[in-house]
Amino acid sequence: MSERKSKLWRTIKFFSERIPLHKMSFESMVSKKEVPVHHMSWAYYMGGLTLLFFSIQMITGIFLLFYYQPTVSDAHASVEYITFFVKSGFLVRNLHTWSSSCMILCLMIHMITAFAMKSFARPRELTWISGSLLLILTFSFGFTGYLLPWHQIAVNATKVVLQSIEEAGRYLPGALSTLPTYIKEIIQGEASVGQATLSRFYALHVVVLPLLFFGALGLHLLSVQLHGMSQGIDKLAKKSEKFFPFFILKDFWLWGLVFLVVFILSLCLPFESFYSYPLFEAYDALGSTPDGIKPEWYFYFLYYPLEILPFWVVMLGMGISSIGLFMVPWIFKNTSRKVLSIIAWIIAAYLIIMTFFGQLIYEIFKGSHS
Amino acid sequence: MFDLFLFIGLPYAAMMSLVAGSIVRYKSNAFSYSSLSTQFLENRWLAWASLPFHFGMFVILSGHLLAFAFPNLWSILVSAPAFLMVVETLGMMAAGLCLVALMILLVRRFVDVKLQAVTSHLDVVVLLILLFQVSSGLGVAINHRWGASWAPGALGPYLHGIFLLNPDVSYLKDMPPLIKLHIVLAWVLILFFPFTRLVHALSLPFLYFTRAPQKVVWTSSPSHVRFEKTVAMDTERRLFLKASLGTGVAVALLSLGALDKFFRYFLKQDLTNAEEAHILSQKLQRLKQSAEERELELERMNKDMIFVAALSSLSQTKGKYFIDYQMRPALAFRDQDGFPIVLSAKCTHLGCTVGQDVDGQGRVLCPCHISYFDIKTGEPSLGSPAKDPLPHLGWALKDEQGSLLLSQDSDGRREGSADSARLERSLLFIVKRFS
Repeated sequence: MSERKSKLWRTIKFFSERIPLHKMSFESMVSKKEVPVHHMSWAYYMGGLTLLFFSIQMITGIFLLFYYQPTVSDAHASVEYITFFVKSGFLVRNLHTWSSSCMILCLMIHMITAFAMKSFARPRELTWISGSLLLILTFSFGFTGYLLPWHQIAVNATKVVLQSIEEAGRYLPGALSTLPTYIKEIIQGEASVGQATLSRFYALHVVVLPLLFFGALGLHLLSVQLHGMSQGIDKLAKKSEKFFPFFILKDFWLWGLVFLVVFILSLCLPFESFYSYPLFEAYDALGSTPDGIKPEWYFYFLYYPLEILPFWVVMLGMGISSIGLFMVPWIFKNTSRKVLSIIAWIIAAYLIIMTFFGQLIYEIFKGSHS
Repeated sequence: MFDLFLFIGLPYAAMMSLVAGSIVRYKSNAFSYSSLSTQFLENRWLAWASLPFHFGMFVILSGHLLAFAFPNLWSILVSAPAFLMVVETLGMMAAGLCLVALMILLVRRFVDVKLQAVTSHLDVVVLLILLFQVSSGLGVAINHRWGASWAPGALGPYLHGIFLLNPDVSYLKDMPPLIKLHIVLAWVLILFFPFTRLVHALSLPFLYFTRAPQKVVWTSSPSHVRFEKTVAMDTERRLFLKASLGTGVAVALLSLGALDKFFRYFLKQDLTNAEEAHILSQKLQRLKQSAEERELELERMNKDMIFVAALSSLSQTKGKYFIDYQMRPALAFRDQDGFPIVLSAKCTHLGCTVGQDVDGQGRVLCPCHISYFDIKTGEPSLGSPAKDPLPHLGWALKDEQGSLLLSQDSDGRREGSADSARLERSLLFIVKRFS
């Protein structure tokens, strides 16, 4: 009985340390909050930027809902309608695509810098975990949103990804081997990617994921505000600046500047101009798959290894690293920030190399065809 | 011959001078690596000249560098008219800034006695060359429009040739004199670079970006510093108010611009009749396409045999796509012996649809991950990511009257027979009981 009580007691203690509700006051969250000033201070802005891009996504996403039609016969036409006929429609759509990429970029930088600065250390474990959840949710946003325009590259890339889930079945024993197919069909909703898939992805993209995202975001922001900024460097920073009004003003300036840049970018340059047009024709179920089917750039770090290495190696790596992601606060509990930043550089180098040179590496291993 | 000197000899001399001169100067007299600022001697005009000049120069140089270093990316970018417009406008504005600034700088050197004491001949020469260079650049931009679009293609190969030690002046042969002048002056600038105040461009204060802010403190405590302490509290509040006001105005302006665009998004579209007709016809076409797909699905539920094509219309080199009983894509070919080859077109690797064109070795290609499949056996070729063969489908041939001539199940067991004349007139079907 006493042991049980102590277990309960420990759980309560754990959470009360991670969510210090006694700090939930204007004084500690606003007027007394300070931001350390040191050579990594710029990283304190990355989370805010990600939030800015999420807000842009939310607003432009709602705008797009006014015209988008989620059926296989109308989806592509409605997206074309938005792009070519609705006033400022191209702007809203370009903003949505540009800002999705920017959001993921900022999120990755935010996560890598938070890792290097050991911002996950006790008592901030829950901040890290909610952040990791947000990362996964953001990738899911990217994956589900990619299908919605229902053009060639979207449908075919989705098909390939879903089919590779099924591929995992080859490495599972006995009755388990049909499990991946089962999962794939749950996601897909029918035997192949079609109306059921579109409806599901649509529902996920505009209702389910946003709701989950708000939950995780609330927890994330609350715990950031309650705990304050982490110190970020091994030695205590010599200087700090007040969160309010100075840091938050600078934050707003940066937001304004970044919004201006993305706005102009969306006015001038469709994100799709980086691809060849046939990929953006309406999906043709009866024709052959066109050349150059690829996922979005932010999946390259996963896509190219999948192309080059044996499937099970990638799956194993994925599994380990996604469990590792959530366990970071405990795995690196006693690691110095110096070592952490070396690891962070390695991760960053991997992501950059795979994103920029993935195609090259692929061709070196597999030879190019033309 | 003179061209060879100007466009090959001079560039290499300039680059040699740049590299060797910069190093020698740094080694022999590192402290002279600066612009020898005259800010303490004359401040008012400098503010109106130096800042605009450096801003403008930064924009112009980045534009040139980007265009010549990444010609492919650049040509994609400038193929968007809006981008080209923005780049050209920015470039001209920057050149204008530089031009005005350079003039002020020159005049300033000549009218201020204190400055004349520290002005060397080279300072004036540099200013003059820069003035001519910016003017010629602006001249090129105005007389030979859209340089951002044509220059990387027309001049890029010459520049790349210089750097790849394979110079080719033929690209410049027919260039107008103004453009040639601009190029020559650029090399002259580089030639002079290490011997003038321009070297300060090489000492970039990168550490400023990452180090913590420092406060410059006077060794003696001047009156204004003491004053500063007493009003520190007050300025903090005032700074906040001012900053919020500034931010507020900026946000308001930005929102005005953004909302102006977004507001229109919700207006009714005023489309021309032709546009509306276009949209409607496209919509109808898509609906028909969907309806056809649904019909295909229903047909496959109800019928025991599905018509694919007349056997005589099939070819050995180009397959005909159709949809099998599982609503997956499939391909039909005609073999050399006159019989049909019918196989699934869904790649056994990750489910893309394989191409319909047969290559010289009797194979079709899945473009997603480059798997080749032999159409006779369905087997993937060695080294393909796909490991399993494309399955064959069962088929049947009927004559025009609809009586069954010949059938083959998915394992290749054939029933019935037909002579070649009747075969030629027969129709190909796929069969439910074989699938």
